[in-house]
Amino acid sequence: MISLLTSLVLAAAPAPAEVVQSFVATHCKSCHSGAKPKGSLSLEKHDAASIAKDRKAWIQVLERTRGGDMPPEKQPRPAPSQVEAFAAALESIWDAADRAAPRDPGKVTARRLNRMEYANTVRDLVGVDFNPAEDFPADDIGHGFDNIGDVLSLPPLLLERYLAAAEGIAERAIAVTIPPVPRRYLAGRFLHPYPNDLPGTGGRFRPMRPLDANPIYSGPFAAGTDYLKFSSKDDFFLRVRLYAEPKGKSPVKVVLFLSGPKVKNPSPDAEVDKLMGAGLKAIKPIEILKTFEITARDHKKPQEIEFPVNRRDDAQRAGVALLKPPAGEDPPLLFVENIWSEGPMDTRPKSHVMILACSPGKPVAAQTREVVGRFIARAFRRPVTNEEIESYSAFVDKAVAAGQKWEAGVRIAIQAALVSPHFLFRIERGGRPGGTDPRPVSDINLASRLSYFLWSSMPDDALLALATKGQLSANLESQVRRMLADPKADALVDNFFPQWLQLRRLDSFSPDAARFPAFNEPLRKSMREEAMMLFREIVRQDRPATELVTANYTFLNQKLAALYGIADTAGNPMKMKASKPGGKPIPADEFVKVDVSGWPRGGVTNMAAVLAVTSNPTRTSPVKRGKWVLEQLLGAPPPPPPPNVPELKEGGEALKGTLKQRMEQHRANPACASCHFKMDALGFAFESFNAIGAWRDKDEEQPIDATGELPGGIKLDGPRAVKDYLAANRDKFMRCLAEKLLTYATGRGLEPYDRRAVDAILKRAGAKQDKFSELVLAIVESDPFRLRRGREPEESAR
Amino acid sequence: MNELMASRRRILTGMGAVVALPWLESMGRALAPASPPRRMAFIYVPNGIHMADWRPGNPGALSALPPVLQPLEKLREQLVVLTGLTADKARPHGDGGGDHARALAAFLTGCQARKTDGTDIRAGVSVDQLAASRIGHLTRLGSLEIGAEAGAMAGNCDSGYSCVYSSTMSWKSATQPLPKDVDPRLVFDRLFGQSSDPKAKDRDRVRKSVLDHVLAESKSLAGELPPSDRRKLDEYFNSVREIEERIARAEKLPPAPKPEFGRPAGVPASLPDHLKLLSDLLVLAFQTDSTRVATFVMANEGSNRPYPFAQVSEGHHDLSHHGNNKAKQEKISLINRFHTTQLAYLAEKMKAVREGEGTLLDNCLIAYGSGNSDGNAHNHDDLPIALLGGKAAGIKGGRHLVFPKETPLANLWLAMLDRAGLSANRLGDSTGVLEGLVG
Repeated sequence: MISLLTSLVLAAAPAPAEVVQSFVATHCKSCHSGAKPKGSLSLEKHDAASIAKDRKAWIQVLERTRGGDMPPEKQPRPAPSQVEAFAAALESIWDAADRAAPRDPGKVTARRLNRMEYANTVRDLVGVDFNPAEDFPADDIGHGFDNIGDVLSLPPLLLERYLAAAEGIAERAIAVTIPPVPRRYLAGRFLHPYPNDLPGTGGRFRPMRPLDANPIYSGPFAAGTDYLKFSSKDDFFLRVRLYAEPKGKSPVKVVLFLSGPKVKNPSPDAEVDKLMGAGLKAIKPIEILKTFEITARDHKKPQEIEFPVNRRDDAQRAGVALLKPPAGEDPPLLFVENIWSEGPMDTRPKSHVMILACSPGKPVAAQTREVVGRFIARAFRRPVTNEEIESYSAFVDKAVAAGQKWEAGVRIAIQAALVSPHFLFRIERGGRPGGTDPRPVSDINLASRLSYFLWSSMPDDALLALATKGQLSANLESQVRRMLADPKADALVDNFFPQWLQLRRLDSFSPDAARFPAFNEPLRKSMREEAMMLFREIVRQDRPATELVTANYTFLNQKLAALYGIADTAGNPMKMKASKPGGKPIPADEFVKVDVSGWPRGGVTNMAAVLAVTSNPTRTSPVKRGKWVLEQLLGAPPPPPPPNVPELKEGGEALKGTLKQRMEQHRANPACASCHFKMDALGFAFESFNAIGAWRDKDEEQPIDATGELPGGIKLDGPRAVKDYLAANRDKFMRCLAEKLLTYATGRGLEPYDRRAVDAILKRAGAKQDKFSELVLAIVESDPFRLRRGREPEESAR
Repeated sequence: MNELMASRRRILTGMGAVVALPWLESMGRALAPASPPRRMAFIYVPNGIHMADWRPGNPGALSALPPVLQPLEKLREQLVVLTGLTADKARPHGDGGGDHARALAAFLTGCQARKTDGTDIRAGVSVDQLAASRIGHLTRLGSLEIGAEAGAMAGNCDSGYSCVYSSTMSWKSATQPLPKDVDPRLVFDRLFGQSSDPKAKDRDRVRKSVLDHVLAESKSLAGELPPSDRRKLDEYFNSVREIEERIARAEKLPPAPKPEFGRPAGVPASLPDHLKLLSDLLVLAFQTDSTRVATFVMANEGSNRPYPFAQVSEGHHDLSHHGNNKAKQEKISLINRFHTTQLAYLAEKMKAVREGEGTLLDNCLIAYGSGNSDGNAHNHDDLPIALLGGKAAGIKGGRHLVFPKETPLANLWLAMLDRAGLSANRLGDSTGVLEGLVG
């Protein structure tokens, strides 16, 4: 009785090791044991410990069993369910081993800056924003991302481009010859009041006749500041060229003024009343800048008067007006050639000023070291040694000794820094790559890890300052939140999500133009933007990460809405009476949030972009779609196809039926069925979407059948079912996302010992409703991110 | 040799603004050595070829050309079709799926690609780089690698193999793949950038001092790094050395002549234009002796590009899994024909350039083919391989050569090296020098 009970209990839940034991005994042992096992593979040791230890070998065993390679053809084959049970048993043994393993933060290889990171780092380091990395070859991809340390290579071609880019950057950053100050002239005939070619207002000089009733002839004359381009950030000069023809004996006096409703210091009426001209009323309020005496009398030698207009953009007009002469005298005639602005006075590029700022009064050599030292410390993202400062300053010293300008020498030092391995690579020194010995990553290195994770760029001054003081680890959460709120976090949106979901393939998607005339470049762009807007929403609004699949809203412009058949933001369908209230029309060029509850839309699985990249040029591909969901969302990629995909029957009569029916016939072959069963069921559910993501009820005149069944009897019917399925499998989805994000954050593929860390991340995120910021925080505080193998060398010695 | 270079330099600079010169014409007979140099070009097409439309009938003299070879009709006398060659190292040998990655990786190397997702990739030295290591120092650019499709777009590319394998044909060493240049504008700049830049000498001087500095830095850094990081630094180190060597060479060699060819604006929108432009640049590169070794990947292995201008709107890779469907095979044949038309364009351009006693084509050994035979079966024996040109190197054209089963493709590469005067003992899985090319 007892033994029956225990055997029942055992039968209900056999231990993994026993499942393995019985499988191996039945199917493998006869060949793979003894003194000379077949293929030199002995499976005699199949207890849990050996399976955990010889993982690579057992992975091979599993692959070949799943692929139908093993057992070989002549032997009795295990049923698919038995194979799956065997696989599950192996997985659970590995799982248990990983969870019990000692803590291991893993090893991050020196990571070369990829194209995006290079461009962003240069933008933040030097302040020039052109795209220096445009000519760089594409980055190598590993584990789905282009920032994996081990994978990124540095061939000679790329180094050539780095050299050229460094030259371009240095040239833009530092001016060796100061560019001339820009000038903007407005000739007399175009000054306000605008004369529109009235007689007597043309010619080189515009005459001002103060007693005339018409302001166009009597003045004051002014130029619009939108033309003169004064700015609140720079210094300018206002200048006027003119001469006078006095009628009396008193000196001719004029004022330079600014006018407009917002001028900062309008002059009191008493002052303004001393000016002449019928046009005065129209341009009040007026701020008188300065009074000048005009001594020039000859058009061959006009006089220039000037006044600085520094860092102000409050005026609408700037001009010149005549002061009333003493009582009894007739006013003089003025002849104004032009009004002009000169500036910004400092024409050195901002980057130039920033980089070359140094203490005046010091000898040149000391200034060099100050400038160079500051630059390379920022470029290398860490404190630098005196030797390093000296070796880079040598470039400047040599250039100056050879008779070149100091600025030119600094340019060369910058070029050298930008191709140095210390700039191009993120290097974390020391450590014990073999052993584990988990230790915290130093604050300085942590700053770079953080900034390249969240911003794809170098740490900013605030981060570096905290890190230098050793206070970064203690303030991790507040820094992460600050960084996520910064506009630079757009880099995380732009770089992580499209790579995770393989949306970069959208660029090369070329559907058959005859079958899909609606597809064109604007549509492609719109598709991409819909996806990007969802990602931005999740990050910026700190939504739960699961909303990526469960969202019942999306972002559309008119073009995309037309593809989907949606009329307004409330989600009313096109060509039908609106049943939901409050919908606003969807603009042509802007993206707006649209409520799509009730539609098979919303979430990444229902986006045109995803549906397109998982299609072929002429038709949909349920296999690709199913594989995409399994791989990118559920972390369960189907194994690769077996080495000999069996050829279909010779002289194959054309397979009949819908695409789905034809594929069912393919899956009748058991060698293919085990993997295709999973992929196809998911993929079929999307058959209602054609290859460019539009809804369809027919495919080639056959009605769409979007049903399928997953192993375990889970029935799916249509995309909504997939959404529900994903929502119900939060654990799988979040694990998949966490693993991908952790890969992206650390720049290395995940290993079995990372299991524990991922478990901890999931637990923490789950406790906070899976909000995106919590996921990021969990990752930042995880072992693989915060720790390293072995101690770093003492920073102070450097 | 130095005297030759010096007098050529004198003549070139004396002529001021220079037009693209055929290699020797300016020098006159007295200074010219015995013959123009040999060049080698390797051109790749992916996903196999519809062999029924490729294979000429019996071995021997070429009679009527089958549909896919038809575009090469005018070059029949310079054409050798080789049947029976095998790239054994492209086969799985226990590694499972990944025939596309392996096919391209093994094509010029004769080595099996290591199955890895990205880290620690490994293949072998490719024949073009072997040649470049011997004669690359004689020209401004050691070798030229171009293609019409850039590297991987997203995700993994072929069953657990890194995307590098299916987009890279040239391997400088077993672990150093060389990326291709896809943008014709950049190719032009690499070839002729210096000639239009009067400040090139100054720039190179600065570059040299910068490179010396970073070399010293990387040496001292290497000591503080663990082995995996050191490997990355080694790569960097080697690239720096390579650029330094190039600068040193540029100082000794005559400057790049300024070609009449205008600088391309960028990547043309249509594939036929793109391929033509790249072909033009390849011919120009050989013609001006900017390099003597080139590889040209017309499309990456596994490429799923449609060819609408050839009346094929389905993706190439999808079609290549034809399952013996006749309609699909016809379309594949159309794509194959499109590619050979491009090949004909390239070869005819070379034929139009007079050089020495013959034409540029006579002095070039052009190899064309794929590492996959039938795209559906993914087999790597019975490969579609053709040779064009090389008459001055002794190649006897106008023939169909059939080799015994399992003859390594690498044997052909050894034969090509031999004809170019660069004999080597082994390459990858070679078993000897292929016989029968010389008439």
